[in-house]
Amino acid sequence: MSRALDRSGAWIGWAFFADLAGALALTFGYMFSRSVTMQYPDKEKWLPYSRYRGHHFLTRDEEGEIKCVACELCARICPCDCIEVIPYEDEKGNRHPAKFEIDMARCLFCGLCEDACPADAIALGQEYEFSSFSSRDLVVGRDDLLGKPGKATTGGGVVAARLNTEQDVLVETSEPQGYNWWRNIRRT
Amino acid sequence: MELVFALGLIAFKVALLIAILLLLPLPLTWLERKIAGHIQQRMGPMRVGWHGLLQPVADGIKLLTKEDHIPAEADRFLFKLAPILALAPPFVVFVAIPFGESVSVLGAEITLYVSNMNVALLFVFAVIGIEVYGVIFGGWAANSKYAVLGSLRTCAQMISYEIPMGFAVIGVVMLAQSMSLLEIVRAQADVWNIVYQPVGFFVFFVAGLAEAQRIPFDLAEAEGDLGAGFHTEYSGIRFAFFMVSEYAVMLLVSVLSVILFFGGWNGVLIPLPPLLWFALKVAFFLYVFMWFRFTFPRYRYDQLMAIGWKVLLPLSLGNIIITGVAFL
Ligand code: SF4
Ligand code: SF4
Repeated sequence: MSRALDRSGAWIGWAFFADLAGALALTFGYMFSRSVTMQYPDKEKWLPYSRYRGHHFLTRDEEGEIKCVACELCARICPCDCIEVIPYEDEKGNRHPAKFEIDMARCLFCGLCEDACPADAIALGQEYEFSSFSSRDLVVGRDDLLGKPGKATTGGGVVAARLNTEQDVLVETSEPQGYNWWRNIRRT
Repeated sequence: MELVFALGLIAFKVALLIAILLLLPLPLTWLERKIAGHIQQRMGPMRVGWHGLLQPVADGIKLLTKEDHIPAEADRFLFKLAPILALAPPFVVFVAIPFGESVSVLGAEITLYVSNMNVALLFVFAVIGIEVYGVIFGGWAANSKYAVLGSLRTCAQMISYEIPMGFAVIGVVMLAQSMSLLEIVRAQADVWNIVYQPVGFFVFFVAGLAEAQRIPFDLAEAEGDLGAGFHTEYSGIRFAFFMVSEYAVMLLVSVLSVILFFGGWNGVLIPLPPLLWFALKVAFFLYVFMWFRFTFPRYRYDQLMAIGWKVLLPLSLGNIIITGVAFL
């Protein structure tokens, strides 16, 4: 009985386009929900999570000496073969890289180099704006890698930003923490 | 003197109408993209002008400066004729459309329509039927399979849906005892036709959606399967002609819905200027068009035909019979 009622109810709904009306109500609701657009680069910018795998950086120990011991494990494990390490020995007999180059154009940001490194010398940091007009510029050397920003400390968020195109193209931000982008995602 | 004044007035009205119809697609495309954006939780155009308000102008400049390409194998005469044939009828139709009762400016009575024909409704349907030639010629002349398929579909669609559309308004004509749009609106001063003719309105509006080639009936230019349908091969200013024509038809269907079923410029409850009431109602229908577009998927071709012939046609005929019986 109830099933028959259900079916006739469904039929009435169908005849009066209940399904279409439901769809219209849904899109109307969405129309007044907040949009999720992040207005990068001239108004807003995204701050990565601490787990984010961006541009590599090399670290130094307490004495300011480069941590890397030039074991070339990272170069071995790299699936894209994009790390090149040439070691040297300093006067105390410690191995260090004389040349340490990463070809960012080939890197797939898997993070295996970070996992393989026995000296915690290399890691993938928070920088993600390093596009260039020439793939040659994407081969980054030792000294550049030492200067790159490390892991993010604050969680992901969207902060106000300003586009500066005077010399280079820069997206400047001042705030350390922004709103959580996921709060605008509507799930129904 | 009288004659010169009258002629000047008509010329002025026609010029104003053309200007409005040519310029209206600008805000409408902006609105459409904004609505699309917000329904999909995006923002739509944001960069050109305040909230992207000047985006249509930028698009217009782009279209005007783009290469106007004619395919090598195309029938050049028909190819050039088609956009004009598609553009002119929706403009011509507005000659017969009243926008309100007369207003007096500086002591002179000025009517808010170019001409008050006693067969205005017939004129509207006759002229709008010509638009299909633009679509067919455009698809045929381009000599491209997508364009031909698109125009064949449109041809069948337009013919199928013009019949229920014509039948749907017969109920309205019976109620008003007149084919003049002015008389039809006057007849609705107390009760709007939608109260007596809900089925008629439904058929009219669905057929209007098909006539304006909007989703869910936009098979003529189904982006997903036909490139852009009949105007696949068009570029630059000729493409813009088709776009303007599409928006003009959309506006026409909205205006006709308001005049035939929603009391024209007669207001309810809130006393607003009649012209404002009219504009508000038309704006609502334009919004509904866009709202539909970003809510519904497209019907399949056989479904489209089935809806036209097996649902809308019987419904509109039944509507005529019931209206006639109720009248007796
Ligand atoms: S992230 Fe992966 S691909 Fe990139 S350098 Fe490290 S190991 Fe190679
Ligand atoms: S970065 Fe780490 S893994 Fe790579 S060479 Fe240096 S110490 Fe070895």
